[in-house]
Amino acid sequence: MDWTRRGFLGGTAALAGVNLFAGGADAPGAGNPWEKADGRASNAVFVRRAYLDLAGRLPTKVEAQGYVFSRNPDKRLALVDELLADEGFVDYWTMRFCDVLRVKSEFPINLWPNAVYVYHRRIREFVRADEPWDRFARALLTATGSDFRDAEANFLRATAQRTPEGYAEAAARTFLGWEWKDLPEGRRKELADVFRCVRIKNTREWKEEIVRVEGDDLRPAFADRLLGEWRDDFARAFVRRVDFWMLGLAEPDPEHVRIFVRNGYRLRPLVRAIAGSAAYERGPVTGGFPYHRLDAEVLDDAICDLTDSGRDFQSIAPEPFTFLPKRRRSICVEDGSISSAFLLLFGRPARDTGLLSERHNEVTGKQRLYLFNSGRIFNLLGRIVDGKAYRAQTMAEIVQDLYWRFYSRAPTAQERTDVLAHFNALPKGPEKWRFPRDLAWCLLNSREFLYQH
Amino acid sequence: MKPAKSVIELWLWGGPSQLETFDPKPDAPAAYNNGLKAIPTNAPGLSVHEWWPELAKCGNLFSVIRSMTHPHFGHETATYLMQTGRNPGGGDVYPAIGAVTAMMKTRDKSYTGDLPPFVILTQAKGRFSEVGFLGDRYAPLVTGGNPNAPTFVVDGIVPPGGLSPEAMKRRFDLFNLVDRFGTPARFGEYLAAGAHARHVIEGSAAKTFDLNLEDKETRARYGRTWIGQSLLAARRLVEYGVPYITVNMGGWDSHKRHFETMRQRTAETDRALAALLSDLAAKGLLDSTVVWVSGEFGRTTKIDRDPPWNGGRNHYPRCFSALVAGGGFKGGCVVGESDETATKVVKRPVAPVDFLGSIYERCGIDPDGEMPNESGKKLTILPPETPGAGRLREIYGS
Repeated sequence: MDWTRRGFLGGTAALAGVNLFAGGADAPGAGNPWEKADGRASNAVFVRRAYLDLAGRLPTKVEAQGYVFSRNPDKRLALVDELLADEGFVDYWTMRFCDVLRVKSEFPINLWPNAVYVYHRRIREFVRADEPWDRFARALLTATGSDFRDAEANFLRATAQRTPEGYAEAAARTFLGWEWKDLPEGRRKELADVFRCVRIKNTREWKEEIVRVEGDDLRPAFADRLLGEWRDDFARAFVRRVDFWMLGLAEPDPEHVRIFVRNGYRLRPLVRAIAGSAAYERGPVTGGFPYHRLDAEVLDDAICDLTDSGRDFQSIAPEPFTFLPKRRRSICVEDGSISSAFLLLFGRPARDTGLLSERHNEVTGKQRLYLFNSGRIFNLLGRIVDGKAYRAQTMAEIVQDLYWRFYSRAPTAQERTDVLAHFNALPKGPEKWRFPRDLAWCLLNSREFLYQH
Repeated sequence: MKPAKSVIELWLWGGPSQLETFDPKPDAPAAYNNGLKAIPTNAPGLSVHEWWPELAKCGNLFSVIRSMTHPHFGHETATYLMQTGRNPGGGDVYPAIGAVTAMMKTRDKSYTGDLPPFVILTQAKGRFSEVGFLGDRYAPLVTGGNPNAPTFVVDGIVPPGGLSPEAMKRRFDLFNLVDRFGTPARFGEYLAAGAHARHVIEGSAAKTFDLNLEDKETRARYGRTWIGQSLLAARRLVEYGVPYITVNMGGWDSHKRHFETMRQRTAETDRALAALLSDLAAKGLLDSTVVWVSGEFGRTTKIDRDPPWNGGRNHYPRCFSALVAGGGFKGGCVVGESDETATKVVKRPVAPVDFLGSIYERCGIDPDGEMPNESGKKLTILPPETPGAGRLREIYGS
């Protein structure tokens, strides 16, 4: 598979031969708009799910309609392939691997800004080129040199404890899925011995550090064992993360592990197999597909995309200072030390340990207060609906439009009737005026929007 | 002695000079004190720098520590130590005292209000996560907004857009019509959080931040400044019952223009802090509220008159000062002593771990007790106190 090939749903071709008003392609059967009669996800649910998982963003209204109304019998896999070749895939999955590989400039990981960007670029290249994980792992484990020039040397620098035990703990967790506290004493010592040769020295350049080796370098032999005696754990540790991200599984599916190994330890064939599987097509209600609240960064981008607005990144830490433009997508922020109040509130990972549990996707009272009640959200919602052209539409058209934007689907007949009846019953005055904004407020705060399902 | 219910932390971010605050050295050479004086307070034996005249009128309400000391010269590491009682490193990122107090007061059900148990006015410290490994539940509510503005807008608490209660109810009716995805059984967390949020919106919590409910005279007494109105908001939060309130005040990192900066900062802070202490005392809240004031370190004592500083003071953690009041701490006392230029501790050193340990003890939290956490590790609230010196027992009230 050539991952740079554009899928045949791409661009304007997506809409060729599609009658947007036919609506027949997605006739819901199970009595709800989210599932087909056999319990599989509806087209609307699937297109949203695939965009969120593969590209880390919501489909636009046009993209969603292009998929939902397409009559291409193979459209599901075509969409997956298109997304795998998309720049958004590289951005989003780079973010995920930067969580795992602890990319942040300050405290308790001290990479410092220059090295953060060098390291980030290297991880992005791993994702973009679909480099085999074993090759990348070896490069990270055995690197020496300057943190400014030899990107892989930052793997060892990205540890809170720069000791043989600290390096070994990070390596065991990252590549083998072993937790230090569960390892017997003998194994700990054996792993720590691998990294006793590592020295990190300052140079005269501000915040430059050199990773070098003194004595016997046992690290290449360690890397050999990843594909030797430890190959099962090595593959499982990788697939476990992907299965967790895409299917919410606690333990990796053995079939997915086999697919990963058979395809040369590469990410995209694995993601493609999962996204094309029956498990991934399950409906979210009767089909039991797992939910999770959108990642902080993804939710931030979704709200900013819908409202055509920017973000307020805080880059107090550290020197040299970094200032990001407001239009930078949150999933593209390289440095875990650069954040915003929104990202903190919604549980972006601290990147201190590389554990998946550092990301908090729970829903809290504070978050719901913010979404219900903050001045920022209130002002942003006005940006969607306050244009003159927008207001020239009938209320039925506005309802239709807002459902597509937030939910990637049209309202059901029942929903349309209920919402319009509510509008008609409102007392004359400001509430009628602000109805589009209030409906957008409802959609934004709802489960169907806030969750990946 | 009943444990204190609330803590107000006034954090002087950047590191205020000990000389121009609570450890004045009127007899030192002008190269150190710039020719400035000390003034006595109404408590015998306790003096403060001449720029704190209002505070001098209520010396009986607070005590100062003149022998704070630690080894970290950088803002980040020093802040971490002063907030967590631990040296950075070692893999675990510990929570700050605010998040720990919030957790302990919530767990033992001594606080059950609708507002989060940890509130920060108005911006977070930024360089480190206050909540550490505790997770979002005990993360602070960071208010944003400006308490000194005509309306103190606290994002998420005070509703924007001017909806009447009836209109608000109708909007929630529409919301319930729209929000019908999935089965409620799978959304327990979302629904509980939503019920809580709606309760806060419709209940009395938002009024806590409405400073217009205070009379004009009171607002003026605190000073119509950011710090004055922040401390007034802090007092209202104490009345509401919030266990931990941090006021993060920047602008104390005076490498240059030290005296000009300090003159302006101290004038506003003196008035606000004196108003807070006397107000708490008058309302009978001081015994149940700990107030503490410090930065991450102090400043170098010999004035740096060379370019580029031109009369500045730089970071200095070996000897600095802090203030504590209320919550069962005695007033009018001086703990520890520095040398004639406030450069070295000569008597009774106080390490951050001992300082924080004293505040925990006054709040009924055992600093040597277990820190509940989800990692499965057995952790204590603080490392052991310093042998020989230790917590500030000499100023614990009976």
